Amino acid sequence: MPENARNAILQRLQRTERRSAVPRPDLPPLRELALDADQLKNQFMAQFQLQGGISYPVANDQALYDRLSDIFRTENITRAMATEDAVITSLQLDQWGARSGVEIVHPSGYQDRQSYTQAVFDQVQAGITGATFAVAESGTIVTGHDRTQGRLVSLAPLVHVVVVPVAHIIATYEIAMEALFADGRRPSQVTFITGPSMTADIQGTMFKGMHGPQKIFALVLDSTP
Amino acid sequence: MKITTERFKQTSLEELDNIHTQKFLQILPLRLSARRNEAYESFPDPVAAHDYGHSIRDEAIQRLPELLETFEANAVANGAQVFWAEDSQAANDYIVQLARQKGVDYVTKGKSMVTEELGLNEALARAGIDAWETDLGEFITQLLHRPPFHIVGPALNIPVQQICDIFIEKGVIDSPTVDPVALGMAARQFLRDRFRDLQMGITGVNLAVAETGTVINVENEGNIRLNKSSPRILVCVMSLEKVVPTLKDAMHMLRVLCRSATGQSASAYMSLDSGPKRPDEIDGPEEMHIVILDNGRSAMYQDPQTREALRCIRCGACLNSCPVYGKVGGYPYGWAYSGPMGQVLTPALQGLRDTGDLIRACTLCHRCKNICPAGIDHPSLLLYYRAKDVAGDKTLGGSGGRWGERLVHTLFSIAGSDHRLWRIFSSIARLAANHQREGDRIRSIPIGARGWFSSRNLPALPHKRFRDRWMDLEKSKRK
Repeated sequence: MPENARNAILQRLQRTERRSAVPRPDLPPLRELALDADQLKNQFMAQFQLQGGISYPVANDQALYDRLSDIFRTENITRAMATEDAVITSLQLDQWGARSGVEIVHPSGYQDRQSYTQAVFDQVQAGITGATFAVAESGTIVTGHDRTQGRLVSLAPLVHVVVVPVAHIIATYEIAMEALFADGRRPSQVTFITGPSMTADIQGTMFKGMHGPQKIFALVLDSTP
Repeated sequence: MKITTERFKQTSLEELDNIHTQKFLQILPLRLSARRNEAYESFPDPVAAHDYGHSIRDEAIQRLPELLETFEANAVANGAQVFWAEDSQAANDYIVQLARQKGVDYVTKGKSMVTEELGLNEALARAGIDAWETDLGEFITQLLHRPPFHIVGPALNIPVQQICDIFIEKGVIDSPTVDPVALGMAARQFLRDRFRDLQMGITGVNLAVAETGTVINVENEGNIRLNKSSPRILVCVMSLEKVVPTLKDAMHMLRVLCRSATGQSASAYMSLDSGPKRPDEIDGPEEMHIVILDNGRSAMYQDPQTREALRCIRCGACLNSCPVYGKVGGYPYGWAYSGPMGQVLTPALQGLRDTGDLIRACTLCHRCKNICPAGIDHPSLLLYYRAKDVAGDKTLGGSGGRWGERLVHTLFSIAGSDHRLWRIFSSIARLAANHQREGDRIRSIPIGARGWFSSRNLPALPHKRFRDRWMDLEKSKRK
């Protein structure tokens, strides 16, 4: 029956007369493609702020830890879940957490999916992730999800901190897509995050944190030691 | 959902008297239109970007069957299960059966016009399965049993006191508040409890990418991401026209969609799913089902004119620019799709039987056509539907017009076929019309033209016809 429906629908679409598609008109390249690395960084940070995010440049790992301490102190965060992607594992967040009175947990630390879900929804106040890419054109964090990048870490807690190595900042979405889908690879999910979760569904009153994070911080890491 | 397109005029009159509707309509469509125009300025050449979007949708529609086959093959290769649904019943049956088979007692949903079209919530309810809308606006309209008022903000017109009352009644809040933020945060907590233990999530699809078998969703709240990340089973319902050829095309369409819908350069969340989670991933669906819905679209595709309406990407920019929507709001359109978008989609999908007023509620100002990022010529389509309606088109179920109207047109065409007959006809018509004059105006003609006079007057017809005046002029020249 389903096979019949498939064939019937496709046959109806195929048997009708169709014209050729109109040729694609010229499309001038986006301005961001002409920017150098410094300009891309500035553009990303400016756009990220414009979309409701908060971005800080951090010169090195120590500066990043200091900034994290400030943020967590201000936001009263004592427990955070961090992903295990290459950006995050290159840092020593667990040790920083131990020094700073913040417990850092990881998805792999949970025995099963259910306990992980409970934890990310209810037992941590922040999620920390590494950006696969950061796109200057709209201040967007692009994440390719895999075993090291749990989806809920950047979504379920009220605060999201994303670490953006400056080398991961790119001009446009297409560059991220070409890299993530190269050689026939298909990440199960790719997420574009541009600012905090928000809505204006009641009387047009805008507020942040509808279902996802209320605050999103981007720490733009200039170099690693 | 119940279709009420036949009540277009009546609901419009009610909405014109509704102060909440009018208050909202005076502000939001204008603001969204302005934001859209401002956002387009971030393109190096806004006109070129607009035209490029048209060409993507044109190719998508002209190559639709091939692209769907490619999409299906890639989605299956990614591990997704694809189900083709001829109609609402088939789609609903598939989803209900899946829910039963998996033993789920409730599902959550992301905002999706196509599931409104299916009447999926009602079908699930009949099977004893609760369906929770999770977009804040849809959540409110679901509790109030209202249709969406605007595609971007389904409950924007609802007074905050009414939201407070329904939240108390349904146990979302314990004590009354009219603070929109407090109400929103209460809904967050209420729905979070559903997301945490969720077994099955249902979403629509904004774009489907043929070359990779990827489905894309666009949102600001994060509820769709939760629907896709928390449960073990994910169902994505896509109407068959949502496909685009390549990821590169999808990126451009995302740019124009976000700018056209809310004036953002990017919505807060855009998620691209290529199959279920891989075995070593901690979250995401273990099963991903993609329902490709026809529901009259392949029939619509047979006609090159109605086929054009399939370009629509549901951004809602046409609603914000439409002078009719700007007065009556979303309810009169009577189905899942409102504004010019609804006026071109509903008659093609539901037929012309109950859409007589819907297709005529247009001033043909062309603003919708000019603003449309998909390149739909709404005014031409509406004229086409009107012609089909009057001609009694069998495929679309045209009414054939009223007998009085047909008689007048027949007489008119006979009179116009010969100059002598025309002279006699125009003399009689002139006398008859002027018989109704009040001063220098004709305010009504009792037979057959009441509708025309309901909003305008006709200047009294001059004593001499143009032809008579012309002949007098010629005579005076000769003298």
